[in-house]
Amino acid sequence: MRTPIRVEALTIRYPGRPLPSLDDVSITVERGERLGIAGRTGAGKSSLALAVAGFIPRVVRASVAGRVLIDGTGGTDAMKAAPGDLLGRVGIVFSSPSSQLSGSKLTVREELAFGLENLGIPPSQMDGRIDAVMERLGISHLAEREPSSLSGGEQQRVAIASIVTMGPEILVLDEPAAELDPTGAAAVAALLDDLAAAGTTILHAEHDPVALGACDRVVLLEAGRIVPAMASLPPCESLAWTVGPGRQGTAVTIEHVSHRYPNGIEALRDISLKISAGEAVAIVGANGSGKTTLVKQLNGLLRPTHGRVLLDDAPTDGIPVNRLAATVGFAFQDPGDQLFERSVEREVSFGPRQLGRSGTEGSAAEISALVEAALSMTGLTGEREVNPYDLDRSRRKLVALAGVLAMDPAVLVLDEPATGQDRDGIERVGLIVRAMQAAGRTVIAITHDMAFATRWFDRVVVMHEGRLVDHPPPAA
Amino acid sequence: MRGIATDVATGYYIAGSSRLHRRNPLTKLLGLLFVLVAAFLLPALSLAVLAALLAGVAISAGLAGALLGSLRIPSVLVVSIVVVNTLFFPGGRDVMLEVGPLSITQQGLTFGLVSAGRLLVVFVASVLFLFTTLADDLLETLVARGVSHRIAFVVQSAVQLIPRMRHRAAGILAAQQARGLSVSGSLVRRLRVLVPLVGPVLLASLVDVRERTLALEARGFGARPGRTAYRVVPDSGLDRVLRVTLIVAILAVIVSAVAGLGR
Amino acid sequence: MDWLTICPEGATTPCVQPVQLAYLVAVLAVVVLVAAIGRRSRDFTTVTLSLIAVAIAINITIGSLTVVLRLPLYLDSIGTVLVGALAGPWAGALTGLLTDLVWSLLPVPGGAGPTTAFFAPVAAVIGLMAGFWADRGVFQLRSDDARIGGFLALALGIAAAAIATLAVQNTVGLGFDPDDQGSQIRFVCLGIVIALVGAATVAVSRRTIFRLRGDDPRIRTYLIAATAISAAALVFALIRLLLVPTDLGLFVAAVGAVVVAVLAVSWARRSDHARLFPVWVGGFTTGLVAALIAAPIVAGVFGGVTGGGTDALIALFRTLGLSVFGSAFAQGLTSDPLDKTISFTIVFVVLTAMPITVRTMFSRGELTVAE
Repeated sequence: MRTPIRVEALTIRYPGRPLPSLDDVSITVERGERLGIAGRTGAGKSSLALAVAGFIPRVVRASVAGRVLIDGTGGTDAMKAAPGDLLGRVGIVFSSPSSQLSGSKLTVREELAFGLENLGIPPSQMDGRIDAVMERLGISHLAEREPSSLSGGEQQRVAIASIVTMGPEILVLDEPAAELDPTGAAAVAALLDDLAAAGTTILHAEHDPVALGACDRVVLLEAGRIVPAMASLPPCESLAWTVGPGRQGTAVTIEHVSHRYPNGIEALRDISLKISAGEAVAIVGANGSGKTTLVKQLNGLLRPTHGRVLLDDAPTDGIPVNRLAATVGFAFQDPGDQLFERSVEREVSFGPRQLGRSGTEGSAAEISALVEAALSMTGLTGEREVNPYDLDRSRRKLVALAGVLAMDPAVLVLDEPATGQDRDGIERVGLIVRAMQAAGRTVIAITHDMAFATRWFDRVVVMHEGRLVDHPPPAA
Repeated sequence: MRGIATDVATGYYIAGSSRLHRRNPLTKLLGLLFVLVAAFLLPALSLAVLAALLAGVAISAGLAGALLGSLRIPSVLVVSIVVVNTLFFPGGRDVMLEVGPLSITQQGLTFGLVSAGRLLVVFVASVLFLFTTLADDLLETLVARGVSHRIAFVVQSAVQLIPRMRHRAAGILAAQQARGLSVSGSLVRRLRVLVPLVGPVLLASLVDVRERTLALEARGFGARPGRTAYRVVPDSGLDRVLRVTLIVAILAVIVSAVAGLGR
Repeated sequence: MDWLTICPEGATTPCVQPVQLAYLVAVLAVVVLVAAIGRRSRDFTTVTLSLIAVAIAINITIGSLTVVLRLPLYLDSIGTVLVGALAGPWAGALTGLLTDLVWSLLPVPGGAGPTTAFFAPVAAVIGLMAGFWADRGVFQLRSDDARIGGFLALALGIAAAAIATLAVQNTVGLGFDPDDQGSQIRFVCLGIVIALVGAATVAVSRRTIFRLRGDDPRIRTYLIAATAISAAALVFALIRLLLVPTDLGLFVAAVGAVVVAVLAVSWARRSDHARLFPVWVGGFTTGLVAALIAAPIVAGVFGGVTGGGTDALIALFRTLGLSVFGSAFAQGLTSDPLDKTISFTIVFVVLTAMPITVRTMFSRGELTVAE
């Protein structure tokens, strides 16, 4: 029996990076085995996944050493294989659901056929294979749906299905549940259990070893090498926000706010909520419960159709978004909506510069101090000259957060700050919340991570279908 | 989200089962080409014939109402063509009417009406084509005739990307305003706003390109020759006859126009 | 076959109208262009194709964004220029071509509806030129690339040809008389002479003054000088055109030119502003060519108007005596060069902010945007 995957002394170094991303790594995966690869962000998990799938150095340029043998010693070296060689033998699934769909098909069924078309499978055989896979993976009910209209979890399952349809015996997954909510993540986990039970060889990379609980074996990667145990990083120095004029925290009052979208959907129904100055509140709820709609009322991105929002007894009506930005700092869920500068430092200073602090006496120094403090809080001081898009997704999110912190907001609003972060990142975000609170700021966060919510916030508010379900009064 | 994607991704398409709908996309494309060639190469009188023909097709396909509704798209352009050329035609000799300092010339009026007529006829034919043809079907047909399936993919991919990107652009507008960016004010201010708005669109899209490329490669895009097609586009004997007729007609028009050059 | 001669004014014997012949040649040229693009695109990698799809969406998205921002620009070629810079002229051409075809398919505001497809050749040429200039190094981050020598030689050659044209016009006179066969031949000969002057200037200067290696400090000086001179020339020409060409007009134009030159020098010396000069030359020339190619389409298909606010401008040009084609071209000249210059600038700024991971995906990425 030929060994499906045999990695021998693999070393990968990307152009422009001083250190190799993988350093002399050797791993063997047996037929039908489910191997987990755990490691922090940047440890080399993605590089390993890409190499096994035959993408390095053909698609992703890098200098390489060693071999990655698929199907035994006499088999194909993934790093020298031509594009078509590994098709149908090794499949790979990435973490971002929407960018894995071909983006050119109008139904899920056609999406699944896409890979078969490229393989040159006769059309008469396609429907049979597609139906079988949809049945197996429990997505038959999605067959005629439009891929872009599906939820993240559903899209990810379709993405996995579209690979499985091509019939690979080896499946590589690079953090498949990273951008999914708990429901989606559970669905993907169940799917993997089924595939493993059916005998597929699985290579599964995750940053959280707990997610790899169902694996037969787990290998730990750190700084490109296999290690027996992960060294624990020194805990984040306790953080403090001491720059800026001592702002007394701002109380946020939401008075009977309702919001109806132009297409008629009532996202918020008569919500009243009082958040005291300097309080930290977490808002939880299922997708579609209205959490994001609610917090967007706070900085003017959305306006209530009924009711009003008050910041310290001053209503927000009529004040444009860019002026409310001086008081309410909003960190978006997707950093890609904001980042455009060529270095972290310039990016972080964009916000304070826009707030018109430049042009007044001594302001350049003020901005500088704010930027320094923000970089230090997010642990990005060493990366100030790096292009934000050269950082991994979790640290890019921290860059966006730093950009908001540097605006010295009285109210800090965070949209899903824990999603896409590894455990150290989540810890850091929690410490930032605590530090801002200690500096007297009000912090409001949307999250679906209950552990994160209960640990770092004074109050947890639950939303369901546009209403507050459970909102304990502020602690006295 | 679904609404956005469907509206723009299916474009002008109006579902139906008329005989026009059922024609093969290539047949319809040749029909459009015929109208285009005839409108521009044949004498102006043919425009009336073409217009009547197209109106008849529209009515028989039940698209007359939709067609009339769509005429608002080129309305400003058509009016402008007639007005500007009637009043301001260089080389207009025969003056028909004096309107203050301007004069309506016969040459100008003719040119304006003929140009507007041609554009309208081409527009109507295009719209009827788009009403009854799904882009995916059109592309699949072209691929079967030799157009690279990778190019067809680029078109399909772009078509679906556009609504998402426009949605995203609106989101970026909001996100940058939340960082204090002001989008109103003087022209210079508004110009300066361009980079923080366009920047994230471009950069995030470029980063996206990397991920999409990996996903495409994972699905074997372009890896092997001999790509097969899942989607079946119906073709019939009637379509084949029509196509031959149309090709002959197009060639006839071209030849008569070239021969007529010597006049 | 004696009808195959071009019609002089008021001809009675069978002949071919020059306009009809021109359109025939144009249509054939478009067919050849599309075929060439099709041939080249067979070799595009998956990366390039993904990029093109995204770029088409960018073109259309930003093209409709300018409506939101109420800017008097199109900005519908940013994706095309980007692809030209990252993946070469033919990829850029394909992007432009497909953009206008896709825009015809979709009811997105900002385009010309289903008739946008007629402008596909213009968009394709914009892509070709963007790729051409990118290969000459105009998007370089630092102004110390040896290709700048080639660019400077080219710029000098264009300037030499322009000066030669002006010189001939003001002395011997170019004179194109549709009736006089002799004058037509003279026109063609003078044209060839001017072109030769330009070419010779390019060749000679490339081997002498612009024989530069990277890191040569003279590059920056040349770019600053070029910025100042072109700014001065532009201002001079504008003032001369607008003011009555009297002696006073000449004096004012000269003074204006000098003032602008001084300002331009001080601006160009700050940080690395001088490296914007090649970008602007690239954008400006691309805009000129775009206006030139769009004019016959506007004249022939759209009756010489655009359907927008600029039609008032077209009417004005008509009253000044310009032909249908001429007024369409003049209108194009007032908007396209500026639009493309801004587009090139935006692409330049974005390329400076491009992360390494993306840059290395494109074979030209490293050539275009050096660190």
